[in-house]
Amino acid sequence: MNYLDRRKLLGLLGVAVTLPLIVGPALAETKINVGALRFTSHAASFVAFERGYFADEGLDVEFKFFQAAQPMAVAIASGDADYGVTAISGGLVSLADKGAVKIIGGALSEEKGIDGQKILASDKAFQAGVTDPSKLDDKTFAITQSGSSFHYMASKIADKENVAISFKPLQKVGAIIGAVKSGQVDAWSIVPHIAKPLAKSGAVHIIGDVSDYIPDYQVTTVFTSADNAANKRAQTEAFLRAFSKGAADFNAALVDKTAGDAAAEDMVKLIHKYVYADRPYEKAKPSIVNGAMRINEGAAMNTASIQDQLDWFIGEDLVKDTVTFDTLVDTSYVKTY
Amino acid sequence: MDLQLEKICHSYGSLEVLSDVSLDIPAGKIVCVVGPSGCGKSTLLRIIGGLERPDSGRVVQIGEPPADSINPLTFVFQDFALLPWRSVRGNISLVLEDHGIRGERCDAIIDDVLARTKLSEFKKALPRQLSGGMKQRVAIARALAVNPAVMLMDEPLSALDSQTRELLMDDLISLWSRNPFTAVYVTHNLQEAVRLGHEIVVLSRRPGVIREIVAIDMPLSERTMGDAGLEAKQKYLWNLMREEAVAADKELISVP
Amino acid sequence: MSHEQPAKKPVVFRGGGFAPRRIRWIGLAVFFVLIGLMEIGTQTGFITALTLPKPSDVFGTFVHLWESGLLWKHLLPSVTRLAVGATIGTIAGISLGISIGLFSYVRAGLVPLVAAIFPIPKIALLPLFVIWFGIDEGSKYALIALGTFTPTVVATYSAVDNVDRTLIRMGQSFGLSWRSIVLKIVLPGAMPGILSGLRVSLAIAIILLVAAEMLGAEYGVGAYILEAGSLYDLERLFAGVAILSVLGVGVSALVGLVETRLLGWRS
Repeated sequence: MNYLDRRKLLGLLGVAVTLPLIVGPALAETKINVGALRFTSHAASFVAFERGYFADEGLDVEFKFFQAAQPMAVAIASGDADYGVTAISGGLVSLADKGAVKIIGGALSEEKGIDGQKILASDKAFQAGVTDPSKLDDKTFAITQSGSSFHYMASKIADKENVAISFKPLQKVGAIIGAVKSGQVDAWSIVPHIAKPLAKSGAVHIIGDVSDYIPDYQVTTVFTSADNAANKRAQTEAFLRAFSKGAADFNAALVDKTAGDAAAEDMVKLIHKYVYADRPYEKAKPSIVNGAMRINEGAAMNTASIQDQLDWFIGEDLVKDTVTFDTLVDTSYVKTY
Repeated sequence: MDLQLEKICHSYGSLEVLSDVSLDIPAGKIVCVVGPSGCGKSTLLRIIGGLERPDSGRVVQIGEPPADSINPLTFVFQDFALLPWRSVRGNISLVLEDHGIRGERCDAIIDDVLARTKLSEFKKALPRQLSGGMKQRVAIARALAVNPAVMLMDEPLSALDSQTRELLMDDLISLWSRNPFTAVYVTHNLQEAVRLGHEIVVLSRRPGVIREIVAIDMPLSERTMGDAGLEAKQKYLWNLMREEAVAADKELISVP
Repeated sequence: MSHEQPAKKPVVFRGGGFAPRRIRWIGLAVFFVLIGLMEIGTQTGFITALTLPKPSDVFGTFVHLWESGLLWKHLLPSVTRLAVGATIGTIAGISLGISIGLFSYVRAGLVPLVAAIFPIPKIALLPLFVIWFGIDEGSKYALIALGTFTPTVVATYSAVDNVDRTLIRMGQSFGLSWRSIVLKIVLPGAMPGILSGLRVSLAIAIILLVAAEMLGAEYGVGAYILEAGSLYDLERLFAGVAILSVLGVGVSALVGLVETRLLGWRS
């Protein structure tokens, strides 16, 4: 019995208010809040919204923008947002363990042949001989926080190369960029649209691909509150359908490039409304194009990758060892592979 | 060593506080300076002690201070000016340390002055444990420790209640009788002036000029409370000052 | 009425109060009652796991920290950072504060500067410090030092201003040297103000510890708390915060000890 549960209370209130109004289809004008970061990796939601896929499903979507994945996860746990896309982090697993959130689908994933996340070395480290990841022994590796996806990637790379690295938590991507540029840390891994311009400036060097170390890495996932996953099946399915349509458009336009140049241009313009909106279109375009990584068709998810990540979190003592795959993931919504 | 004040003038901004004050302070005598509040008596004392520079005029020493005088011109302050974090002994050693007096010699001086001021058993006490009268005794002991040629006493008894004041006056008289010292004693209390002063200098206010110097020939040791001759002198002084005291009372305070 | 005995009535008491008394154990009792309520609330499920952790689990986390030796691994670097940073900050602050108190030119030149630095959130300068002092210990020391420096300067020069001028005149009238007046009169006289300023600035140092460990710290109580926050691990978060609180109480007790030693002459 949870008496002190704000969401339930609000839910009850909502029922009381809407009861007399329920007429027509169950999903007519269901208001939902979708959490998003202004990254290209969140494009599927933006496309679904702009092209009316959400509206077609009877979802009245309002975006809630966040500065980082962590507060977004907390907002979904608290019921302030309904659906979101984020990397699997220790925080997300902890929230799932507390019965607050559930992963319901896949979003961004690494795929051989498609430009994925890059491993970077600072110029200083590169000049000192760190020209590929096997030379990272005894070097520092920037991460945002312990238990972040950066931490997971770095750890996986170090394992595979059998090198000892030390992690430098720097909280924010901006701080990491500063530290890598000035040579305060030796290495980092990051999505291509950030990695490439940095490498072009000469301050850092790309020394490898994350996909070589973590094949088929399920980078981000679609997640929602445990309550939505368990009790609002119709709404959740509707969201995933619209999201998948958006993802398909995105992949066709920018990842597989099967839709032609005009469609690609349209897609970039659409995304530009949300991402790099403060930059002129001409400058934003390369970043958006570079940032295009595969978003899973039909929001399918790679359970093996998710299991591997969960095992790693438990192994590093970042989350409780009692967390199971089923606590974290609801596989009933999308295809798994 | 005698002191001589030559035409001392001093102003605070446009406010003239002392005008053309000339005075002799003969060795071995206590010179009391009285006057209504705001007549510049404390300023005059600070000028004599070298803590303030007069606008014009000067203070001169006539003759050398005794060789064993560590600090020839020594103040005793109204609010005692004891360091609250130092014991009675520490407060006295403070003024000796800087003159290179330490160890046995220092202890000997401290024991001597504490005995003279009847403070021997309070050597280790902190100022907060002492009554007002005791604190002023410590301050006097401290002044005696440096063997001054002239003691500059700035309303030393004004912060004390009247009984304590009587006791301390007796103490000062016995100290002087045993070993006469030179002193300039500033007070607004005429009773103190007639009990302790060989000469009483009456200052008028704004600007302070010497109105009259009243000499009292009666030996200090013979002066007692309620003595008719002293009462008459006190009345005479009061009449000199009365009108100005009334004026001073009605004025808004502005002088530091 | 006129010839009757006037009625007797005791005067109503209306004094008292406004005099804080020292009552022991109440503070501790309030603390334990709150923890007890938290435990009952979380055990019965009245408070969800998302809202607060079980105090017993927090305690368990702490025991685990202790047994695994991780406590010292986190505490030692933090205490070192606090000690080094706060020592640099307070010594520099006291020195400058005294200079401002003693020299009019220093005062005129630096008081506006200190007033300008005071309100800057030092955390905002952390990225800059990383460039200046390096990502390792240097920037952490610098952040804590700057955080403690400004309040110490202000507390010190106000304390010097408040030293009784008659004591200084007394020192001069006895022919004490300038050095002696500063060391034996000004400094001890300003000590109560300096120490109460120290209480504030050391509390600020502990607050800044978490900020200082945001960048590039693998170990440290602040890093531990930040990690717990990002993992949404409430047990660790509360355990870490409790360690900081204990650290704060410890530092305050230490200042109290110094106060009773140095300021015994007061009460």
